[in-house]
Amino acid sequence: MAVVALKPYPLRPVDGIEHYHGDQLVYWSWDHHLMFAAPFITCPSPSTRVVDFLEATIRPLIAADPDADRVDWTCVEWIRDHEPIAIDVGKSFSENGIGHKDLLRFRTPGMNTLCG
Amino acid sequence: MDMKVQKAKLGLKEKYRLMTRDLGWTPSYQPHEKLYPYAAYEGIVIHDWDKWEDPFRLTMDAYWKYQAEKDRKFYAIIDAHAQNNGHLNITDARYLSALKIFLQAISPGEYCAHKGFARAGREFPGVGTQVACQMQSIDELRHAQTQIHALSSYNRYYDGFHAFIQMRDRMWYNSVPRSFFDDAMTGGPFEFMVAIGFSFEYVLTNLLFVPFMSGAAYNGDMATVTFGFSAQSDEARHMTLGLECIKFILEQDPANLPIVQRWLDKWFWRGLRLLSLVGTMMDYMLPKRVMSWAEAWEIYAEDNGSALFKDLARYGIRPPKGWKDAAKARDHISHQFMLAFYQWSFGTAFHGWIPSEADLDWLSSKYPETFDRHYRPRWDYFKKLADAGTQFRNVGLAKLCQCCQMPCVFTEPDDPTLLCHRERVIDGHRYHFCSDHCREIVEHEPEKYVQAWMPMNQLFQGTSGGGGIENWMRWVNLVDGKDNGDFVGSRDQRNFAAWRGMATSNNGT
Amino acid sequence: MQIDLRTVTIEPQRHAYDHLEQRFGAKPASRYQEASYDIQAVENLHYRPTWDPEQQLYDPDLSRVRMRDWYAIKDPRQFYYSSYTLTRARQQDTAEANFAFVESRGLSALMPGELTAQVLALLMPLRHAAWGANQNNTLICGYGFGTTFTQPCMFQAMDQLGIAQYLSRLGLLLGDPESLGAGKRAWMVDATWQPLRHYTEDTMALRDPVEVFVAQNLVLDGLLYPLVYEHLVDDVLSARGASCVAMLTQFMSEWGSETRKWIDAVTKTLAAESADNRAALCDWIDRWLPRAALAVLPIVAIVLGDQAQSAVEDQMTDFAGRLGKAGVTR
Ligand SMILES: [Fe+2]
Ligand SMILES: [Fe+2]
Ligand SMILES: [Zn+2]
Repeated sequence: MAVVALKPYPLRPVDGIEHYHGDQLVYWSWDHHLMFAAPFITCPSPSTRVVDFLEATIRPLIAADPDADRVDWTCVEWIRDHEPIAIDVGKSFSENGIGHKDLLRFRTPGMNTLCG
Repeated sequence: MDMKVQKAKLGLKEKYRLMTRDLGWTPSYQPHEKLYPYAAYEGIVIHDWDKWEDPFRLTMDAYWKYQAEKDRKFYAIIDAHAQNNGHLNITDARYLSALKIFLQAISPGEYCAHKGFARAGREFPGVGTQVACQMQSIDELRHAQTQIHALSSYNRYYDGFHAFIQMRDRMWYNSVPRSFFDDAMTGGPFEFMVAIGFSFEYVLTNLLFVPFMSGAAYNGDMATVTFGFSAQSDEARHMTLGLECIKFILEQDPANLPIVQRWLDKWFWRGLRLLSLVGTMMDYMLPKRVMSWAEAWEIYAEDNGSALFKDLARYGIRPPKGWKDAAKARDHISHQFMLAFYQWSFGTAFHGWIPSEADLDWLSSKYPETFDRHYRPRWDYFKKLADAGTQFRNVGLAKLCQCCQMPCVFTEPDDPTLLCHRERVIDGHRYHFCSDHCREIVEHEPEKYVQAWMPMNQLFQGTSGGGGIENWMRWVNLVDGKDNGDFVGSRDQRNFAAWRGMATSNNGT
Repeated sequence: MQIDLRTVTIEPQRHAYDHLEQRFGAKPASRYQEASYDIQAVENLHYRPTWDPEQQLYDPDLSRVRMRDWYAIKDPRQFYYSSYTLTRARQQDTAEANFAFVESRGLSALMPGELTAQVLALLMPLRHAAWGANQNNTLICGYGFGTTFTQPCMFQAMDQLGIAQYLSRLGLLLGDPESLGAGKRAWMVDATWQPLRHYTEDTMALRDPVEVFVAQNLVLDGLLYPLVYEHLVDDVLSARGASCVAMLTQFMSEWGSETRKWIDAVTKTLAAESADNRAALCDWIDRWLPRAALAVLPIVAIVLGDQAQSAVEDQMTDFAGRLGKAGVTR
């Protein structure tokens, strides 16, 4: 479908990776952990190791949840665009094929202290 | 011979015709489409503008007279309110959060309606329609101005009001109403009319005004009550115009039906998302409550709305696509929002708080299916953290919906334990949505929505004050420690208590 | 316990909204200021218009005229919705009383038939000219930039609709629905009215809001209103025995001089901004003024015959004086 317009109305995205100074947007959501009202938006460098980013940025963000300490990044189940994916957290975002504006959901079965 | 005797008495309808549509003419020095260049491209076919029935017959002399009477009363009341410290009559300073959201988010929308109806009042080729739109245009200017005037005295005493102009353009949550009105205004005249005149004014305005204004009355806010009631007779006209317009379009040509139906689907959903904010105000921000959002939704949307769509069924119109999902969300959204505002209160120009035990009990009773099961445990936990001196602040920024610009706080329609995630790649770029309906809206007009100004993404692009939270606060005119944060311990709370104390103990001078 | 809020004296935390303190200093703001300044969105507009994606939703570049700050434009009447409406309601009281006076005493019937015919021939087609002015001012409000420029144009549009309606009532009082019909036919086909209708339709095809302002409010109405209402109706026709008509058009005469103050103030501010602006204004005046003069001439001739030429020339001289005072020099 295309917008109905009087004159040609080109598709001009304003949110491409080129606007992020070498970094890229990555979204995160912890399934069934609704203490956090919405998925997080973050902006890591594609060359950062995923685990480094998780420890430096995501773990502090989720720290208030009573389950947070028990999260082991190597055991969580990852989902991208409704499909399970394997992430080698020891490698970088680009090595894992994680692109600009990907949403990464992680599931921690058995952990749902607050929002069962 | 007395001329008056000979004159045939003109019927009201004929007289009004001479006062309005007879003024127009068919141009011959310029082609019609040169004078009305935006009337055709949306695909709406109008065969005969004369079939337009004037929804109300108001000439300018009568308009000036009625409106002046209302305005005299309105300004007399708010003058007295300002002089007599009327703001101290409100039940509790928590109530001010609702007014702050109103001034930042809704009053600028009134101005957009003013501007949009001026454009529609020029672009429609039918004089009757133009006159009705023009009157609505100055009415909407009136609403913006009376609201700014009524809330001006609150601004002198309380935080969170002072920068509504800057925040209209820069504050992340105001991007929700702004994108809503920008969307309607960048459509052609017919879409604007269906979006604002019909979907917003006719289907949803009652949900905004009636509960909000009764809430103001219950909570001792005479200034807001006054602008609300003063606007009501205008709104009655606007609703009639919206309904007349949609019937007129549908009666003109069968080809208009699918276009109008899609607009109804779109604008019902966008309007619903916008009004979820009102639900939050009703359930959480009124110290003395009128009714719950769920109850208001039942009366003003489900009952009135189904009657309306039954009526429109004879034109082939069916209820909007999002209707069922809206009903499913009814018992959830206000809680999802208030929990969100509470954890992000460092970034809002109004205060959040944890509801008291009595408030939580009220919510449990109003939302027996959902509150105790899903939301009360979260509030209890937040309270535990706050009591322990480790108040929960979510410093993570939120993923926004590319369409409605809400943070994606909504859960799956059929699973309240899981956030709803929707995405789509369009021309190599990935976009995220809060719901199926928002995604569908974007899929229909991708060229439009890929340009949206997304405040969270812009923060990372470094365009919003130059990066960093302090720069951002300066850029939105947010005064840290005053405008934002928890109500408990806020300057508004302290001042209100002190001033009320002076009044009740008569220590004033 | 007695609660008497009025006895409490509390210090305000601030005087006015931030944007007004920034513009006018830390002091209380007037209702006009609160109602008018900066209330149109300016930044972070979300989408481009579907009628033209090269435009912005609020686009100062729709005009050739440029302003560093469009809010430099002010309305000397300080009209916002309420002060505007109250003013017009008062004038409407007077107009109503005037119509009632003329009607109850049967004054219009006392006019000689020929004079009545002349009045109708002059005024009835102007219903449509007023509607054209309504359209043009609505466009300026819709697409102009900045509330202090655009809001008075919406008021002007509604006033022009009101004027068209007063003229319609006048026609029904002095004549009957057929008088209005004859006026419309004249507007459509009579040679007398074609230059004005041509002018009106051409201005309705414009899309530069400031050019529309110049062509309609400054130039055309700058000639038409003083000539028709102040000169022909108030002076010439009154002297010939149609003073009751002057009562019925009192609104238009007063309104004409009131709105000229605003139009001149806007023009002056636009011109003072830059040489480029002055050049734009001059180009537009060169384009529209000769046509406007030609358009009003046959209309004035309905009443003045051969003397119309000199009346229009006098008016042109006055108009040149107005332009000079507004700083529009060629
Ligand atoms: Fe309104
Ligand atoms: Fe309205
Ligand atoms: Zn959405």
